[in-house]
Amino acid sequence: MPVPFESLIPFAIISGMFLVTGTGIRFAQTKRNEGKLARYSLDDWDRKMLQRDKQLTGTERGQIDEPVAPEEFKVNSAWKVYDSLRNDFA
Amino acid sequence: MVNPGYKNFKGEDWVDPTPPPAHLPHVDEVGSTGAPLKSASFFIGAQCKEYNEDFMLCKNEDRNPEHCLSEGRKVTRCAIDALQKIQSKCQVEFRAHWQCLDGKNQDLGRCRKYEKGLNECLFTAFGWKKDVPGAPANKPQIHERIPLTN
Repeated sequence: MPVPFESLIPFAIISGMFLVTGTGIRFAQTKRNEGKLARYSLDDWDRKMLQRDKQLTGTERGQIDEPVAPEEFKVNSAWKVYDSLRNDFA
Repeated sequence: MVNPGYKNFKGEDWVDPTPPPAHLPHVDEVGSTGAPLKSASFFIGAQCKEYNEDFMLCKNEDRNPEHCLSEGRKVTRCAIDALQKIQSKCQVEFRAHWQCLDGKNQDLGRCRKYEKGLNECLFTAFGWKKDVPGAPANKPQIHERIPLTN
């Protein structure tokens, strides 16, 4: 008797689930990275460069290639401080 | 990086809007983000070698930021100059190269095709040649080797 088709349904379900998770992860990463693949193997240099890119363009994956930075760049570096140390600038 | 005592850190960054002190000379900042800088890195390094070395030696003496302000200004101006030159003559190839780098985790080895175009354009425009400092002289440079893959 040949292989019954019912026995292949679990394989189809399993491969379908692989497809779903793969697609879901890719969708989530491209959404977070503006359509580009995620950066991996980041060292301290890359993390600080991503922070600088955020200062320049507003997002960590945005890129511009102007030689001269806009004026806001001189004063918009952000620091993480304790809540008790924040000053409230009006 | 999260500070210790994270329950006081509400997830907002604090920006200090104080401008730099008025007695320092004015210098423009480099406005390129990471991928264009990586693409132009060897050319900036070749053009600005003396200023960069001065700055590094100065920092070696004293890590206080105030000590190396003037050398730092020279480094910034030289980098801006190099980027302006690249943009003036080879903007299309430059953009193609850094957009490729941006999509490939900024791996120089995965964008050799566009890098070749950029190197040729810069060589005909300014005579700049990319070479890796400290590479062994008896072997071809890594970006000129016949690729084994891709």
